Amino acid sequence: MKLKYIPVFAEDVDAQIDFYTQKLGFNVISNIGFIEGEESMVLQANNLDVAFVMAGSNRDSVYKSCIILNTEDCLKDYHLYKTAGVFFYAAPRYLPAGLAAEFLDPGGNRLILLEERSYTEI
Amino acid sequence: MDYSKTLRNNNKIYSRTSSQRQGQQYSSDFSLRFVFTGNERYDIGRRHLSIYPDSFLILNRGTQYSTDTDSSIPVQSFTINFDQQFLEDFKEYWAFTDNRLLNKNGSKTKQYQEFDETIYPFNGDMMYNVYHLKQYLDNGMHDELLINEYLHHCLINYFSIYNEEILKKAEKLNFLNQNTKIEILRRLNLAKEYLYSNYNQNITLEGLAEHSCLSVNHLLRTFKQAFSLTPHQFLTQLRLKRAQLLLRSTTYPINEVVNLIGFECPSSFIRLFKTHYKVTPLKYRQSA
Repeated sequence: MKLKYIPVFAEDVDAQIDFYTQKLGFNVISNIGFIEGEESMVLQANNLDVAFVMAGSNRDSVYKSCIILNTEDCLKDYHLYKTAGVFFYAAPRYLPAGLAAEFLDPGGNRLILLEERSYTEI
Repeated sequence: MDYSKTLRNNNKIYSRTSSQRQGQQYSSDFSLRFVFTGNERYDIGRRHLSIYPDSFLILNRGTQYSTDTDSSIPVQSFTINFDQQFLEDFKEYWAFTDNRLLNKNGSKTKQYQEFDETIYPFNGDMMYNVYHLKQYLDNGMHDELLINEYLHHCLINYFSIYNEEILKKAEKLNFLNQNTKIEILRRLNLAKEYLYSNYNQNITLEGLAEHSCLSVNHLLRTFKQAFSLTPHQFLTQLRLKRAQLLLRSTTYPINEVVNLIGFECPSSFIRLFKTHYKVTPLKYRQSA
C-alpha cells in the first residue's frame, strides 16, 4: 500500500491549476474520474511521489486540506515561492520539528513547507 | 572555497581557506565567526580564544582583534559582518515580536546594546541556517534578497541563543542584584571560553579561577548554578564532543585522538566514551 493521491479542494479549478502549475511548479499529468460525473485533474511535481487531485467545489465530499510539503531548505523555497507571487501569511517560524512556512492556495487549502531538523546531539 | 561578498546594504560575508595567517590588527563590525574545519585563534586584548567547528564567536562593533591559525589541516573559516543599520532594524523587529519583552517593560531592549563577546555553542537552527547559506553561496548563487533572508534568520537564531546562554543562565544564579548576576555570568563565560579554547591542555581549577577573576570556591559554586555542570564535567563533555569530531573527520588512530583532546589514558577515555554515547570510539568511527 502507498499514499498516491491527495484531493485538493478547488473553488475555481482553472485558477487553482494555474496557481499550482505556474507558481509551485506542478504539471498536469492526467485526468481521473474521482467524483461521479466530473473529470478531475491530477497534478504532480517532479520531486514528489504523491499526486494532487483537483476536486470541484459543489460536492459535499470534498474538504479543504492541510498539506505538509517537506523541503531541504525552507528559507530557499520560501523565497523562491515568494518571488513567484505566492502569499505567505506569516514569516517562516521555528517549531519543535524544524522550520516551517505556511501559505494558502486560491481554494483556501493550507500548505506548509516544513524543513525537519534534528536538535538532539548525538 | 574562497570569496568575499558585500551586499548592497553593506552586510559582508567572507569565506576563506587558509593554513597560515599572521596577526594583523583588525577592527570589526558586529560579526559572527565560524570555522568548518580546523580551528582559528582570535586574540582580543589579553584573551586568546579558539573556535572549532562546534562553536562560534561574536565580536561587537569596534573590537580590536587579530587572528591566527596553527592547525595542521587547512582552516575553512566563515564570517558574517552585519551592517549597523541592518542590526538596528533587526533589534526593532525583535522587540516588537518578542511579546515577553513587551509585557515586562519597554526598556528591556537595552540589554541588546552590547553582546557578550564570547564563544557560543554552534548547533541547532543556527547551524542549519549557516550551512544552508554557505551551501547556497558555494554554489555561486547570488540573490541578495534570499541572502538577507538567511542573515535575518541568523540574527533570530543568535538572539535566541543569547537569550538561552546569557539571560536565562544569569537568572539561574543565586544573587539578588541583577547587575551582580550579569557580572558573575560574564566571568563565568571567561571560564567557559577558557575551557573551549584550552580543552586539550592540562587545566587546573586554580588557573581557571584566576582566568575568570573568581575564587576557586566561588567559581565552583556559581559555575554549577549557571550551567548545571561542574567545570570538570563541562570539560569532559567538551573533550568527548571534540573526540567525536576528530573520529568523524580524520583518520588519526584512537591513541592520537586521545592525546589531541587532552586525555592522558586511552582506556579511561574509551570507557568514558562508551558510558556517554553507548558505543565504543572505534564503532562510532565505523558507523559515522
